Amino acid sequence: MDPLAGMDDSSTDDDNASQTTEDDPQIPEHAPAPPPPPSAAPPLPPQPSLARREKPHYELRHTLTGHTMSISAVKFSPDGTLLASCGAENIVKIWSPFTAELIRNLTGHTAGLSDLSWSSDSVYLASASDDTTVRIWEVDTGLTHKHLKGHAKWVFCLNYNSTSTLLVSGACDGDIKIWDARKGKCVKTLHAHLDYVTAVHFNRESDLIVSCALDGLIRIWNTSTGQCLKTLAEDHNAICQQVQFSPNSKYILSTAHDSAIRLWDYKNHRCLKTYTGHTNAKYCISACFSVTGGKWIVGGSEDHKIYIWDLQSREIVQVLEGHQDVVVAVATHPSQNMIATGSIESDLSIRIWEDHSRQGHQVQGTTTSN
Amino acid sequence: MNESLISPFNFSHPTAVQTSLYALGSFARFDPSGRFIGVGRFDGLATIWDLETKAAVRWLDGHVKAVTSLDWSRHSQYVLTSSKDWNVIVWDLASVYDPPQRHATIRCDAPVSSASFHPRNSQIILALLSTGEVYLIDLRKNHRSRTELYEPDGDEDGTEGQSSRRYAMTVARFDTSGKYVFIGTSGGYILVFNARTKAMIARHRIAGGAGTIKGLDFAKNGRRLVTNSSDRTLRQFIVPHYPRSPETGVEIFLDQELEPTHRFNDPINKTAWHAVSYSPDGEWLAGGAADAANHKIYIWDISNDGQFASTLDGGREPLAHLHWHPSKASIASTTNQGNILIWHSPNAERWGAFAGGFEEVDENVEYEEREDEFDIEDEAEIIRRKKEAEQDDVDIDTIDGANAPVYPAVNGFHVSGGNGAPPSGNVGESLDEDMKWADEDANDDIGVWKMKILMDDDDL
Repeated sequence: MDPLAGMDDSSTDDDNASQTTEDDPQIPEHAPAPPPPPSAAPPLPPQPSLARREKPHYELRHTLTGHTMSISAVKFSPDGTLLASCGAENIVKIWSPFTAELIRNLTGHTAGLSDLSWSSDSVYLASASDDTTVRIWEVDTGLTHKHLKGHAKWVFCLNYNSTSTLLVSGACDGDIKIWDARKGKCVKTLHAHLDYVTAVHFNRESDLIVSCALDGLIRIWNTSTGQCLKTLAEDHNAICQQVQFSPNSKYILSTAHDSAIRLWDYKNHRCLKTYTGHTNAKYCISACFSVTGGKWIVGGSEDHKIYIWDLQSREIVQVLEGHQDVVVAVATHPSQNMIATGSIESDLSIRIWEDHSRQGHQVQGTTTSN
Repeated sequence: MNESLISPFNFSHPTAVQTSLYALGSFARFDPSGRFIGVGRFDGLATIWDLETKAAVRWLDGHVKAVTSLDWSRHSQYVLTSSKDWNVIVWDLASVYDPPQRHATIRCDAPVSSASFHPRNSQIILALLSTGEVYLIDLRKNHRSRTELYEPDGDEDGTEGQSSRRYAMTVARFDTSGKYVFIGTSGGYILVFNARTKAMIARHRIAGGAGTIKGLDFAKNGRRLVTNSSDRTLRQFIVPHYPRSPETGVEIFLDQELEPTHRFNDPINKTAWHAVSYSPDGEWLAGGAADAANHKIYIWDISNDGQFASTLDGGREPLAHLHWHPSKASIASTTNQGNILIWHSPNAERWGAFAGGFEEVDENVEYEEREDEFDIEDEAEIIRRKKEAEQDDVDIDTIDGANAPVYPAVNGFHVSGGNGAPPSGNVGESLDEDMKWADEDANDDIGVWKMKILMDDDDL
């Protein structure tokens, strides 16, 4: 089933090759066979993930213009039909990612926006604003359904849980609030950090929340009790500004100001992968998982490019150029090979990138592994 | 999956009330995912509460008299309610309408005391009527039927059956595999039926006599069962093995006295029990005391030879019902005022969690410096080693347990104070005829459903 299952044994004949070559696409696993799968099922290993070793071929599909101030977030709706974007100019824009058409402006906030989150049914959209409130919009009508007031400072980040019953938001005074989305009431306030909370994210089961702040710490919270369960800190003062759980919630992905994106095993407090090569020292830049074709990590960069890394080998497999300024917002489509990116001041465009070449590979991959 | 992180200590029993839900309920049951709680009320309404927000999210309005029981389908999509108004209603929570529409209504011939879904197929329903009869109702197109489960007249073994004949049935439950139906009677007998053939395959008299059997609960692994009977004693039994005749493939009728492995009672107050429930790992047993002035839950430690562990005191409102959470150290107990107390096992705030790489220890640990701990290392070497450590593949999108069987296979189970009963093969067996029958024509309760997201309209 899992296309990653048999990938360790990419090839056996180049075991003697250099083990540290970052740009060798055939990075071999060294002699000790990968632990669990092969011993269990010897007939399976000849499942050479040749497809995986291929690189993505994303191409620019659309350029969406309309924002007049720096873009802060772009988010695909969970059903994949819409793209929401926001920036410093008080409005949320809803686009069709396929036709590049602007569908609706959501207006109501009185200050700039920092983050967006869709409800799982793609009906509602929550937005975090510098006017210290969160609004929940019904996207079809463009009306504010709930106006969540309670934060004392600018709201910087927010996230719906998977059942969309709860919302979590983080503000610039270090507080995190958990809201009952249906009632629009705050149910819990965590004095979580000592500085800007730059990201909050629920895990799949909604029992954990991960947060990070400019105080350099990543913290994991118990949703129901509000207790802090763990704090992760990288040794060398890498201020982390974006954090999220992996699709299966086993790991967290963080981006930090030392120009590195890290994948953590948060239970064992271990950094599993480091993705480098891009530039990130000043802005809150997002990165995300791409699982629709190959398994990639996609991240923005201050050198105006978008980098795509191979999840496993950590090598850069594609660099997308086109933006004229720092790429701070990145989102991957939930079911198709599509990336949306947004840039700031001197660019102000959203770009949609697509990879049609991989569609076939994915299908092929699933059939061979079954 | 995050239990180890959330409560790093051993699985335990709950100790304190976390929340109290003002639900006007007569009983409350967790769903198999632990996300919801279903509440039955005297006024015929059933309500579904979301445990994340601690709020009622659905009102199931269909009965005109008190709801007597509520059951959840395997993946929580369907809810069954039975009522004194002679009806059993199946509700579909995935319905886009609010209030949810009824999926099926089953009209019985008498007030329904309890009803439950087959654990593998929510189209098969077991209903117990207040007249003491049990029906197995099959809603599947190819099997559509309503069969009474009754004790056959003892003509063929007419000698000693006389005494047990025609006692009213007072409790009926599927076992955890769904192959058998266990029925308790007012005469203190446990009758076992094959759910597929509807034939009675065993009759157990409880050793020593027990009076009316009021309640029955199975440990999750299906190998132990506990009964609550009118003699104010809870008894735990090892579920016997029901051998099949090699020629016919049908279970051989077993008429056997059952000897409990443990008896639980309150020797001082001699309280009766309103409800009994196993913890998900089967290591704890909770009994709700029928105390007229207090809300008391007794907890026994089954893994420690059934020793009494503690009493939970829930205040002044007497207890009416209790149910253990399907995976956590949590209990929902209902008071006779209709309030539901959610018990949990609180963890002390660990301040060490606020510092990265900091670990709290219970006792002083003499720290031993490693030989090379403060050696100065070549930085390039460190980077090289780090890179090497990062070569292991990670799996970011396989979800644990998504395809895991709901019914755990028999393993890691140890019999405590057992009476040497042979391990029963009731659970974890490969798909035999009974299982095939049960899985046939299953409905769409397959685990991927979403409850429609609703927003309150009040504050605009």
